[in-house]
Amino acid sequence: MIFAHMKFFSKIKYPILKAIDVSGLTFLSPVVRLCYGEEPRVQMKKISQWILIPICAIILFIFLWAYGSTVVKTKSGSVPGPLETLKAGESISKFGNYEKAKEEAYTLTGPERDEALKKAQARLGKMDPIVKAATDQVGGAKAQYAEVIKKRTSGMTSRRDALKKSYSANQSARKASLAALADTLTPGNETAYENFMKEVKDHTDKTDLEKEELATLAKEIKEIEDEKSDDVAKALFAQTRAAEERQFLQKQIDQLTTQNKGLKIETAQAKIQEDARVLLTLTGPEAVKAAGKIAKARSRLVKTEESVYAGPKTLGYQIKRSILCVFAGFLIGAFIAIPIGILCGLNSTFMAAMTPFIAIFKPVSPIVWLPICLIIASAVVPSPDDSAFMDWLWEDAWILNHYDINPAFIASAITVALCSLWATLANTALGVASIDKDHLNVARVLKLGFWPRLFKIVIPSALPLIFAGLRISLGVGWMVLIAAELLSSSEGIGKFVWDQFNNGASDSFAKLFVVVFVVGIIGLLLDRIMIVFQRLVSFEGSPTAI
Amino acid sequence: MSSLELMPDPAALRRSVEISNLIKEYPNPYGEDFRVVENFNLNIREGEFISLIGHSGCGKSTVLTMLAGLNEISGGGIIVGNKEIDSPGPDRAVVFQSPCLMPWMNSFQNVMLGVKNVYPHATKAERRQIVEHSLAVVGLADSMKKYPAEMSGGMQQRVGIARAIALQPKVLLLDEPFGRLDSLTRMELQDVIIEILAREKLTAMIVTHDVDEAVFMADRCVMMSNGPKAGVGEILGIDFARPRNREVVYQDPKFFEYREHLLAFLEQRAHLKSSTRVFSDGDTMGYTDKKGLELESHATSKATSVA
Ligand SMILES: Nc1ncnc2c1ncn2[C@@H]1O[C@H](COP(=O)(O)OP(=O)(O)OP(=O)(O)O)[C@@H](O)[C@H]1O
Ligand SMILES: [Mg+2]
Repeated sequence: MIFAHMKFFSKIKYPILKAIDVSGLTFLSPVVRLCYGEEPRVQMKKISQWILIPICAIILFIFLWAYGSTVVKTKSGSVPGPLETLKAGESISKFGNYEKAKEEAYTLTGPERDEALKKAQARLGKMDPIVKAATDQVGGAKAQYAEVIKKRTSGMTSRRDALKKSYSANQSARKASLAALADTLTPGNETAYENFMKEVKDHTDKTDLEKEELATLAKEIKEIEDEKSDDVAKALFAQTRAAEERQFLQKQIDQLTTQNKGLKIETAQAKIQEDARVLLTLTGPEAVKAAGKIAKARSRLVKTEESVYAGPKTLGYQIKRSILCVFAGFLIGAFIAIPIGILCGLNSTFMAAMTPFIAIFKPVSPIVWLPICLIIASAVVPSPDDSAFMDWLWEDAWILNHYDINPAFIASAITVALCSLWATLANTALGVASIDKDHLNVARVLKLGFWPRLFKIVIPSALPLIFAGLRISLGVGWMVLIAAELLSSSEGIGKFVWDQFNNGASDSFAKLFVVVFVVGIIGLLLDRIMIVFQRLVSFEGSPTAI
Repeated sequence: MSSLELMPDPAALRRSVEISNLIKEYPNPYGEDFRVVENFNLNIREGEFISLIGHSGCGKSTVLTMLAGLNEISGGGIIVGNKEIDSPGPDRAVVFQSPCLMPWMNSFQNVMLGVKNVYPHATKAERRQIVEHSLAVVGLADSMKKYPAEMSGGMQQRVGIARAIALQPKVLLLDEPFGRLDSLTRMELQDVIIEILAREKLTAMIVTHDVDEAVFMADRCVMMSNGPKAGVGEILGIDFARPRNREVVYQDPKFFEYREHLLAFLEQRAHLKSSTRVFSDGDTMGYTDKKGLELESHATSKATSVA
């Protein structure tokens, strides 16, 4: 409707629709068609089905989640609702930003450093009153809330005190009467003893009852006292935020001054120069000593020059490392699975030979593979100091050098490969085995040799299924990876989960919920990417995945 | 002198086909092997065009695929040129009923597929030229970059024909090549084939269900007897001058005579079959019989439309 009359827009209509189709975002195509005024009724119906209804479902889910989180209580506090989760996500990203700023600060030099320092100091100067105000706010809110609690519980407390008093009076009275009764007992008089026993039992029963009543009352009071106040929580949150920012600023200033790389280098160089000048005047053993000192200082200087900021890992870094690891494992798996799958599809004898291995290894859980891979990887993978390859990985390799490729990483990647390759293998074998017989006949008539036949006919016609398998593999790999990282404490999302599980911070439970969404969304994106690839290699009438 | 040197051995250029005592048996897990073709004898002269007709299931495709080398020979032999065949090869190009193009390649690449093997010593430019020429011959000079999914069935079949002739085969084998096309496209492609064969002097065999096609295209029309144990039933020489013009041929009284003859042969075989059906395997016969009647009715309706 809007675009229908404009020439440019009407030209790009079908390219847009095709791009949508290839990327698998088919829910968008009715929107585009509606914009072009194509059958508005039909499009509206599709939009309401594929866009409005999912949105409603999401809203409903958020409400149910918000309600459910207030009902379920656990030892680590109540289950985080949507708001808490959002806040946790915010605090994760804030932490990431702080770390990034600190990293930058570490390498700044010259006037830029001075400027950054000035800015940080100015801000820090303002922080003290803010933190103090936040602390006061917390104190005020707590006091206010304590007041409220006191008011609410005062009736109960006084009742409890009164009851306690009267019960202890009752109890001592009963004890006294029992003691008196005991004195009147005549040995051998069974009925008298029986009566006495009854009295005693009566006394203990009553005492128990009274105790229980007091305990129930105390519990009720405690419950009220334990109730969290939204005001206090808010004040605490603001206070934590402010304290965090102040701490960050202090650390940033450290990175800009005492810890700063440029400054460290400068002072070291000045010192070396000074020492060198002194050395020129020295002879004998003193010269030896001074020269040795200078040599040591020089090598320290080289290390400083090469150093990078070493801070705690942020979720962003861990996500990147996880994605790197899943692709590493996925590629290893693909490199194993595709050739074997092709051989299986081509040759039934080879397939027969492989079947037992596939059948036995396929169901093995990542939990079993991981320790095996870890042991092997730590035995085989040399440390970066004494292996040129590992040294290359750590120092120069393309994007890998920032990611500390260690045995845990390699073990996780291999575990991913071992768990994910089966889908690719099965689909590749199926794809190769189910090539159109006519196409093979064509190859025979054309007398194609083995390699042209493989690359021109067998592989292209199996590609849609190979990619379908790869897509499943990547999905499986992503699921396996998080578990593998958690168990091997290889830096990554799994490690983040483990850290949050182990640290008792008030929002770590909510951060786990954030991870659920992060992992889900990344998994979705990976799947989408594979769908695009799969569509690109598909042809009309190509077979679909198993 | 030099031109003589370039001339290949004349024997290798021979394009005749001799089929002698050809037998085909398919294994039958529940009894004796199923002998589809028995004592099939046929000599095809160089440059001759044979059409092969017969009831559905009698074994036409079987004979053709054996000639192509795609189907194992159970007995007897086939000699092409002066060599007994035992495997498929580019000297016997096949055009299948479905075009069998690779969907992931465009027309150019589909035709190029075999050219690389057949002309291992040709330069890239020469190969390119061969492919472009073949596509131009079938009228697809403009559609070299098109993928099969973007082309009509007729165009796809043209690519199939181009792929076959690009191999410069001795023998061209066509198995119901126009079976899935509408009659207009069918006629166009018939003309394309006839033209190519006349120019390249190829020996050819076409399997068809269309009696008009069999008469119009071929020099001799081979009628197969009914299976099992089918062989050559009758051979009809078609005596029209080449190049053939469709209008002229279709007006010729001889054309109707030939047609009637072929139809009569098929009909008679159909009756024969229905009377022998009682004694033989009911299922196979019932199926082929139905298809056989279809062939007749198809031919009759064609006749009325032409007449
Ligand atoms: N692979 C096979 N195994 C067993 N029997 C087969 C096989 N292929 C074909 N046949 C049988 O051989 C007979 C001849 O088959 P063929 O395909 O040659 O018939 P046709 O004359 O080409 O039929 P149509 O006109 O329908 O194409 C048929 O009865 C068929 O059932
Ligand atoms: Mg057939």
